[in-house]
Amino acid sequence: MIELSNLSIHFGTAVALRDANLVIERGDRLGVVGESGSGKTLLALCLMGMAPESARMTGQLRIDGQDMATASERDWQRLRSRRVAMVFQEPMAALNPLRRVGDTVMEPMVLHDGLTRSAARARALSLFEEVGIPDPDRRLRQFPHEMSGGQRQRVLIALALACNPMLLIADEPTTALDANVALRITDLLQRLARERQMALVFISHDLAAVARATEDIVVMYAGDMVEQGRTAEVLGTPAHPYTKGLLGARPDPGVAGRDAQGKRRRLPTIPGAVPPLQGLPQGCRFAGRCPVELPHCAAQRPAFVQSDAGRAAACHLLTEGRHD
Amino acid sequence: MTDAPLLEVRNLTRRYKLPRQSLLRAPPVLTALENASFSLHAGETLGVVGESGSGKSTLARLIMAFERPDAGAVLFRGRDLHGLGGQELRSLRRDFQMVFQDPFGSLNPRRRVGWSIAEPLRANGETEDIPRRIAEALEQVGLHAADAGKYPHEFSGGQRQRIAIARAIVTRPALLVADEAVSALDVSVQAQILNLLMDLQDDLGLGMVFISHDLAVVGSICDRVLVLQHGQTLESGAAADVLRSPEHPYTKTLLTAAGVRP
Repeated sequence: MIELSNLSIHFGTAVALRDANLVIERGDRLGVVGESGSGKTLLALCLMGMAPESARMTGQLRIDGQDMATASERDWQRLRSRRVAMVFQEPMAALNPLRRVGDTVMEPMVLHDGLTRSAARARALSLFEEVGIPDPDRRLRQFPHEMSGGQRQRVLIALALACNPMLLIADEPTTALDANVALRITDLLQRLARERQMALVFISHDLAAVARATEDIVVMYAGDMVEQGRTAEVLGTPAHPYTKGLLGARPDPGVAGRDAQGKRRRLPTIPGAVPPLQGLPQGCRFAGRCPVELPHCAAQRPAFVQSDAGRAAACHLLTEGRHD
Repeated sequence: MTDAPLLEVRNLTRRYKLPRQSLLRAPPVLTALENASFSLHAGETLGVVGESGSGKSTLARLIMAFERPDAGAVLFRGRDLHGLGGQELRSLRRDFQMVFQDPFGSLNPRRRVGWSIAEPLRANGETEDIPRRIAEALEQVGLHAADAGKYPHEFSGGQRQRIAIARAIVTRPALLVADEAVSALDVSVQAQILNLLMDLQDDLGLGMVFISHDLAVVGSICDRVLVLQHGQTLESGAAADVLRSPEHPYTKTLLTAAGVRP
């Protein structure tokens, strides 16, 4: 359904997304994880045809068999209205504060699908029910500020579903929400994807949320996809040193803060910080921060090594059979 | 650890009046915090866990004496902060400092970071040795003395949080209140800052009140935990116990949200 092959995004001489390869089929639930500057949001914007003007795209991006890397804005508009939709981090910012949420949700149905107002209203009502908004009749008439953060995020999800997309991209959909609410939104997205046989791309820095919502995962670092595979396997037995570092740096609720001598346990860290795009190594971009770096890592790019069905990581240690 | 607690919070309650809904009725009242109590010794960390509206930031403001409680007391080294005169409180302020969530919002973008770090010193009317103390604070947080001459935008998010911590420790406080101090940071940077806070605590013997919505983070740095919801204390105890066997269903939810495996 969606296929990226060697897709790169250039800003001048800087490569913000480097040779991304990815296949998404109907009903797939894919998590994209990584820290700031990993390129995960840029990847999402590419799938929406919303990459910044100054970006130059190379490689292939096929959606429904159509090559979208060279598509016009008009083609993208057609695609966005019926095939792909997006949910953003901050529901308040994404909703017009001066419009009733019902009007916002009904607008694309009238505009793109040519529904009458009453038909659109009926569909909006059933969407509100589907996304778990209680008392939908009253809620349709409310303004965004009259709703809680969780309710607003549900409205945005309803809006994204308005034209029955085959792909829903959720970019940090739970980051601005409290834990309780975040859990419920995560479960909702997962349920919707399953029930509608819709593909879900769930972008988040929150590994717990990604583990809960997705079946497959891509780990990104500084514009490179460094590891992909089944979510449970990648998070359970990470192969790439960055994935290992990321998981290790998460505080473990099961480990108490002090050891037997009463000394505080320090958390494992990844030393340093992500370098600016211009200062990235030619080879593996994690070189310089990697705890198991080899001499040629910074200069030579590691190939993506397939370990078993669908599981792959880009690291020299894997090709040289020295990984633990 | 000495016997007398560094900080004692006794039955702290804070209510806010909400906008009046009818001319004939008294305005509704929101109880932001009710009957919160704990004590903290030097070198110890207390975690305060809760979500928006739980009262955790209200608690921070009351401890910092930014506002007054409706009932209860905050005792710092045995002295009731809210019973002190303005002059006495000001002279005591150097001993308790705060680190906020957003380091970009709390550092003046037009001033060199050295100037921002020296702010609490100036507020105390201290004039001696300022450049040396700025340099010392920067080195304590893992930055360089020369960084004092740079502007906030020249630093990454993690480095800016280090600067905010340098500013908080420049007066050599005994108590540090950290309000969501690592929440805006990436996981790997967050771990670096948490380790830094632990290092500083070991070196300086700081008592710390660590406020966060993330139970996993709290568990990694705190000795004891207080779980708040809607201003009420749901549960409190040793961090290891609360994390291993939470008693309240709400704490369990927080724990689920914090875990990789549900």
